[in-house]
Amino acid sequence: MLTSCRYLLGMFLASSVLMMHASRADQPSEGSGDLFPVAKINDFVSQAWEERGVQPAARCDDRQFVRRVYLDLAGRVPTIEESDAFANDTQTDKRAALVDRLLASEDYPQHFADLFDALLMGRTNEGKYKQRANSGWRKYLEDVFRNNRPWDEVAAEVLLARPEDKAKRGAVWFLYERNDQHQAIAEAVAPAFFGIRIECAQCHDHMVVNEIEQAHYWGLVAFFNRSKNAKTKEGLRVAESAIGGFSDFANLEGDSTPNLLTFLGASTVEEPRPAGDAKQEDADDLYVATSAEPANRIPKFSRRQRFVEDVLRDHPLLARSMVNRLWAIMLGRGIVHPFDEMDSVHPPSHPELLDWLATEFAESNYDIRSLVRSLALSDAYQLDSRKPMGVDDPASFAWYLERRLTGEQLARSIQLIAEGKFTNDAELIKQFRQQISDVLPDETVVGVDDTLFLTNGPGLDNYLRSSCDKAGLLAELNGSESHRQRAERLFQSVFLRAPDSDETEAVVDYLEARNDDLPAALQQVLWSMINSAEFQFNH
Amino acid sequence: MKHTHKTCGSPEHLLHRRLFLQGTMAASAASVASFNGLFSVPALADETKRRGKKCILLWLCGAPSQFETWDPKPGTPFSGPFGAIPTNLPGVQISSLMPKCAGIMDKLAVIRSMSTEPGEHFQGIDVLTRGDKPRQPFVRPILGSVVAEQLGHLDSPVPQFILLDPCPEGNEFKGFKAGNWAGWLGAQYGPVRAGGEYSIPNLNKLDTISDIDHQDREALRSFFSKKYENDRRSQAAGSLNAAFDRVKGLMSCAPLFDLNSLPEADRQRYGAGAFAQHALQARHLIENGSTFVMVANGMPWDNHVFQHEMHQMLVPELDNVLYQLVTDLEDRGMLEDTLVIAMGEFGRSPWLNAARGRDHYPKAWSLAMAGGGIRGGVVHGATDPLGHEVAEDAVDNRQLFATIFAALGIDPHEEYDLPDLPTFSRVEDGVAPIEQLLV
Repeated sequence: MLTSCRYLLGMFLASSVLMMHASRADQPSEGSGDLFPVAKINDFVSQAWEERGVQPAARCDDRQFVRRVYLDLAGRVPTIEESDAFANDTQTDKRAALVDRLLASEDYPQHFADLFDALLMGRTNEGKYKQRANSGWRKYLEDVFRNNRPWDEVAAEVLLARPEDKAKRGAVWFLYERNDQHQAIAEAVAPAFFGIRIECAQCHDHMVVNEIEQAHYWGLVAFFNRSKNAKTKEGLRVAESAIGGFSDFANLEGDSTPNLLTFLGASTVEEPRPAGDAKQEDADDLYVATSAEPANRIPKFSRRQRFVEDVLRDHPLLARSMVNRLWAIMLGRGIVHPFDEMDSVHPPSHPELLDWLATEFAESNYDIRSLVRSLALSDAYQLDSRKPMGVDDPASFAWYLERRLTGEQLARSIQLIAEGKFTNDAELIKQFRQQISDVLPDETVVGVDDTLFLTNGPGLDNYLRSSCDKAGLLAELNGSESHRQRAERLFQSVFLRAPDSDETEAVVDYLEARNDDLPAALQQVLWSMINSAEFQFNH
Repeated sequence: MKHTHKTCGSPEHLLHRRLFLQGTMAASAASVASFNGLFSVPALADETKRRGKKCILLWLCGAPSQFETWDPKPGTPFSGPFGAIPTNLPGVQISSLMPKCAGIMDKLAVIRSMSTEPGEHFQGIDVLTRGDKPRQPFVRPILGSVVAEQLGHLDSPVPQFILLDPCPEGNEFKGFKAGNWAGWLGAQYGPVRAGGEYSIPNLNKLDTISDIDHQDREALRSFFSKKYENDRRSQAAGSLNAAFDRVKGLMSCAPLFDLNSLPEADRQRYGAGAFAQHALQARHLIENGSTFVMVANGMPWDNHVFQHEMHQMLVPELDNVLYQLVTDLEDRGMLEDTLVIAMGEFGRSPWLNAARGRDHYPKAWSLAMAGGGIRGGVVHGATDPLGHEVAEDAVDNRQLFATIFAALGIDPHEEYDLPDLPTFSRVEDGVAPIEQLLV
């Protein structure tokens, strides 16, 4: 089983590389409506349902769709007005129109920058978030999604880390934040741009995933191990030396192997190595002539540049991993799951679909927005979130998989409900991203530390109490005529629906019992609603 | 505006009555009832008593020297400055640094013939806390998670697996701590982490909210949320609601995590220092319904330098803690059901290095256990006269874990079939427990 997977992956890598080199030249630079035909995606998925005898859930109604698509594309719930406007819209193509509107909104680059910051850089402390903003990294990420930049160009800029344009200075930060830790860089590059994890191969060929060898781990390290952080007049740079970085690695038996410039699926990059124990001398003529200060000079043989040109460019996993990750963002799990372990041990649930999407993505000039648009309009995305009877495998994508809101989605949505607007660097966002740090977790499980934070943490409590004093939902509710009206308004604001009679009754009874302090009581009802599953999950 | 409530005028809250009648709060009634008090609810104490076996793991991280503890080699070139003393088991001697344990050797089981593979901390810790080497892509659950899953009560308000640890930073153990402890059992079987300088974050109710509002809003939350969970048979919602239910339990037993609430006499008897105090706290937690408590303590035992001086401090503390724990449990009639394990990830070298330290030595080392299905007064296995090799009855990590599981009444060989993966057993290859050590 494993052997055959390995063989297939090898075949796949070889054939796709050829295919992509051949087809790259005449691509449109802008995404068009014809890319990623939704009908074709639907065919792949429905054919798999048929083959597996799966009856998918019904299509979701407008109320489900509008909340879902705001959360997935804009990173927040809609307001009552936005939700009502959509429900009352009678156009037949209103779902497509809404998707287009959201993808063109400023909320989209903000939300996707949140996601990709967490996915590429990992969660961190607030001090580091500040550095990510100051270094231009955050802005760079936002620009990527705002301007729909081709993913292969982005990957090359980030890994070459030599921005020629001031607007792209933030691209250095992916390498820079890792602070000359070359193994950490390699371990971050593999999942971020190739969708694989290579940590296991540090000490030995991967135990289970045969195609990931120890030489790939150390090869990837070698591409970056002449790099060094530098602060120059032109800003933060990741300098590169023309010499050094030759090493051997040993396996568990103690056998030693020279560390060559090599990575999975690409041929080894030839590099002159000094003979035996000959010592290399650094010299100006090893660098491209340039007037810049020393830290900015570029080696004639640049390992980073060779990585970007010879390994990264057109590497089939570059498109494949991004497609799988975007699928996971929109559909709740990857076609390969976990989405960043795309190896022979984790076969895709829909292999032909993944192949086709990856090929189309590369041919579309790595057009992220068009792909996201098609995924949002696919049948699988628009299914009801109630699991149909008799279907258990989430990999069938036969219902919309519930997922937890990210820290940012939660904090933005809470602000929007309480104040009618939100601030992206609000204290509440900081509190929530520090606590709820997972983005695209393998499983949807809520930990007791999170519920302790929501129950007893000062962040949410301070926010709700201070929002009582401002103009906004709680002030408005305080002035309502009846408890029944208050209940109705709360349900519309938080859940975007009318309450059932038992729900109205529970709220009315509670408010009556707490007539002694209505503002505090309203705050508690709001707390109870935003901490219930209907709000905490995207469904 | 402040929203702190004065004692509320209305004695009856309609909501409470309603929701109680509807049964939505019935499951959590016990924890709500104990909400304001110290942890002394008779119903829970009874439940604790009728429960099965429990376990305290004194995790001697960094790896203690067997020569200065359970397997002294007096008169040999590298035996060190400490002598050996007789114990209450005829013919058995242990280090003179352990006089208290020498008096209760009839209650202890010592294995002098541990022989394992990994010689570096991270791998050693992994193997000796999970029972075996990694077998990817599995993440083998740690002992505490297995015991909590097998013997624990998820619906208990008291956490079933607790890690007491004052030192989350600064050594190889840190990387291990950041790992996936519960493995394929799932996050709900991971430990609740507490101890020493840091407590459980957000465990106490904020002053800005009254008791009654606190209870009401959770009752409302639970009502809305369970409705959603039931309507959709949603597992995701189930996990959210379960986690909120655990909040109530954890908050209700918050005093259990407060060292200062324990009697001063007990605290003095165990001795100052985090390790001793946490051992006492472990006893307290086990008495009150926890199933597994791991007392970890950085990695103080890694004495590559000045090993004698360091052990002169560490071993008497261990001697006292183990003595207090075993005799306390026995006095309370709990020893029979509570397994105490004191071990590290390997032993120390029979020779001294240039810095008068002992280096890592997995080939021949010792550990001790007591209670909970383990026979007392047994010394199992032996090393050669210089302690270089195991001379009889070598025990590896698999045999050890098979023995621990068997003592606790857990099937060591239960099999797990995970989709598309090879079969995995709790202890692989049918390795048998050591019968001599079992009651």
